Amino acid sequence: MASDIFVVGLSFRTSPVALREKLAVPSAELADAITRLKSEVALDEALLVATCNRVEVYGVASDPSAAARAKSWLEKPLGAGALAGHTYEQTGKEAVRHAFRVASSLDSMVVGEPQILGQVKDAYAAASGAGGLGTLLDRCFARAFAVAKRVRNETGIASGAVSVSSIACDLALGIFGDLTGKRVLLVGAGKMGESAAKHLAKQGAKLFVLNRSRERAVELAAACGGEPRGIAELPSELALADVAICSTSSDRFVITQDLMKEVLRARRHRNLFLIDIAVPRDIDPRVGDMDGVFLYDVDDLGKVAQENMAARKREADAAEKIVDGEARDFEEWRKQQDLKPLIIGIRQHVHAQLTSELVKTLPRLTGDKEKDRAALERMVEAMVNKVVHHPVAEVKRASERGEVEVVNAAAKLFPSASAEPKADATGASTPSPAPATRRS
Amino acid sequence: MSLITLLFCLTVALYVAAWAAQALFLVRGSEPIGRAGAMLLAPAALAHIAFLAVSVSDGGARLSDIHQVLAFGSLLLVLAFLGTAWAYRSRLPRVSVLGAFITPISLLFILLAAFHRGVGTVPDDVRSMVLPVHIIVNVLGETAFALAFAVAIAYVLQERQLKRKKLTGLFQRLPPLDVLDTLGFRLISVGFPLLSIGVVSGALWAVRLDPGAPPITIAQAFGLLAWLMFGGLLLLRVAAGWRGRRAAIGTMLGFLCTCLLLVGYVIRTGPVTGG
Repeated sequence: MASDIFVVGLSFRTSPVALREKLAVPSAELADAITRLKSEVALDEALLVATCNRVEVYGVASDPSAAARAKSWLEKPLGAGALAGHTYEQTGKEAVRHAFRVASSLDSMVVGEPQILGQVKDAYAAASGAGGLGTLLDRCFARAFAVAKRVRNETGIASGAVSVSSIACDLALGIFGDLTGKRVLLVGAGKMGESAAKHLAKQGAKLFVLNRSRERAVELAAACGGEPRGIAELPSELALADVAICSTSSDRFVITQDLMKEVLRARRHRNLFLIDIAVPRDIDPRVGDMDGVFLYDVDDLGKVAQENMAARKREADAAEKIVDGEARDFEEWRKQQDLKPLIIGIRQHVHAQLTSELVKTLPRLTGDKEKDRAALERMVEAMVNKVVHHPVAEVKRASERGEVEVVNAAAKLFPSASAEPKADATGASTPSPAPATRRS
Repeated sequence: MSLITLLFCLTVALYVAAWAAQALFLVRGSEPIGRAGAMLLAPAALAHIAFLAVSVSDGGARLSDIHQVLAFGSLLLVLAFLGTAWAYRSRLPRVSVLGAFITPISLLFILLAAFHRGVGTVPDDVRSMVLPVHIIVNVLGETAFALAFAVAIAYVLQERQLKRKKLTGLFQRLPPLDVLDTLGFRLISVGFPLLSIGVVSGALWAVRLDPGAPPITIAQAFGLLAWLMFGGLLLLRVAAGWRGRRAAIGTMLGFLCTCLLLVGYVIRTGPVTGG
C-alpha cells in the first residue's frame, strides 16, 4: 500500500488549555521529540507542531494503524484514555488541507494572526534537522507556506488589527504615518495600557511614564524602556505628546475639557491621539470633539476589534477556496508520486529487454549491408516479442476469463493497435505486415 | 474622424477608465482593480501627449489660448502625480490612491479645453514676454494647487474616518493624516509664489492689452481671492501653526477659486488676459 499523510492532534477547539499545557513541547526540545516520535511510532516521516493553541503530529506511513499509534504516543505522558474525545484525526487530502489551513491561520483562534506561520515554519525546521522530513511532508509544508503567502496576499484575512495594542498602533500609524521619535505618554499603571505603550515604543516612539507615585513611574519606565515623569507634569507633557494612553484607577477625569483647551493652544494644532483604557474613564468624552484630537475609549477599541474580526471572517471564505484548490493540486501530485515506482519499473524492464537483444546482435554485424539489415530486423522482431509477450499473454488470459476491463485497458494503452486494420488494394482486410515481410 | 479627434477621444476614454478603477479601488479596496487604475493612467498620459503633439504639428496648439493651456495643464497634473506616486512608491505606497481625486480634475481640464469657442489673436503691438511668463507660472501653480486639493480631500476623508472611528475600508487605503498635511503644505508653498508671479504678470498684461479696461474683472477677482486664501493659509501655518482639517478646507476653497477664474476665461472669447 502507498504511503499517505495523516494528522492527529488536539487544538483549542477540541480541548481545554489545562490539557494542552501538559503536552507542551519547548522549542529547544522539538527536534528530539520528533526523533522519538518517528522511531517509537515507526513512521516514514514525522513533524510535530506544538503551540499554545495546538499540538499536532503529522506523519507519513503506509500502515493504516500509524495514526492510532501516533495518538497513543501523544497520550503516553498523561495515561491511556486521557485524550479521549479531545483529538481529531485526518488522512490523505483532508490532512493536507488541514496543514494548509493551519499555516494560513484559518484554524487559529484569531483568524489571520501572523504568529502561527512562524510556529509552523519552526516545526518544519526542527523536523528537517531531526531527519523527520521525506518527499511527502517536505512538499506538503513547502506548499503550506506558499498557500499561506497566497492567502495573505490575495485576501484581506490579515487586515485590520484585533487586539487593543495593535489597534492602538494601527491608529497611531494612520494619524502620524511614522512613529519614529513620536512622544507617547503612558498615564497610570494599567496592564493593557502598558502593553499598548510597549507596542508603540517598538515602532520607534519615545515613551514617557506618568504616575501619581514617582516610585511607580520610575519602576514602570524601567520595565517599558521609557522616562519617568510626575503626574503634575501632565499639562506640559500633553502639550508635547503625540499619543497619550490613560489607564489610571482615578474616579474622576484626569484629562478634562478645560485642561485640553489649554493644551491645544500650546500644541499649535498638531494632531493628538488619546487612548482611554480606564474604567471609569480618565478622559472627558467631549475632548474627542475638539479639532485635531482623536479620542478612543475601551468601547471604541472593542468595536473596532469586532468590526475587524467580522471583516476577517468574510475574507476567510475566499481563503478557504484557495486552500481547497491547493489541496486538490497537492493530491494530484501525490497520486503521480504513487505511480512513480511503477513507471520507473516499466522503463527499466523494457530497457533491460532491449539492451539484451542489442548486445546479442551487435557482434553479428559484419559490415555487409544486406546481412546487417537482416540481423537488425531479427533483433527488432525479438525485441517486440520480448516486450509484448507477457502483456499479450495476460490480455489473452483476461479475455478467456471475461475480464473486459483488462482488455479495455490494453486497448487504451495501445490505441493504434485497436484501430481497424487498413484494407489492401484488393479490398481484403490484412493485418499490418511484420518488418521482415516488408522487404521488396 | 480626424486623428486629433481620435486621440482626444482615446485620451478621455483612458482617463475615464483609470478614474473608474481608482474610485472603485478607493471604495471597495480590490487590489487588482487598484493596480488596473494605476496602470491605465500611464497609457492615458501617453495618449494625451500624442494628442498634444498632433495638435502642435497641426498648428492648433498655442499657449496663448486658454483651451490649450488647460489641455497642457491637464497633462502636467497627471505627469506630476505619476512622478509623485513613483517617488513615494516604496516609502508610502498609499499615496497612489490620490489618483482617484486627481484624475477627475485632469479629466475636467481636458474636457473644458474641448469647449473651444475660438480666441482672438494678440495684436502685434502689445506682444511681450509677460504673457508666456504669466501662462507658464499659472499652469505650474495651478498644477501644485490641484495636487494640494486632492491631498486636502483625502485629509478630510481620512480625518472623518478617524473621528467616526471607522477603521476598515477607506481608512486602510488612504495615507496617514500627518503625511497628507505635510504634503499639502509643501504643495501650497510651491504654488503660492507661482500664483503671486501669475497675479502680478496678469495685471501687467491686462494694462498693456487695454489701458482703459476696468481695474478688475470678476474672474480676476477670483484669482485675487485664491491668492489671498493661499497666502493666509501659509501665514497662519507659519505664525500660528494652523494645520489639519481647517487648512485642508482652506486649500479646497482656494483651489475652487482658481477653478472659477479658469472657467471665467474659458467661457469668454478674446485674447488671454491676466488674473
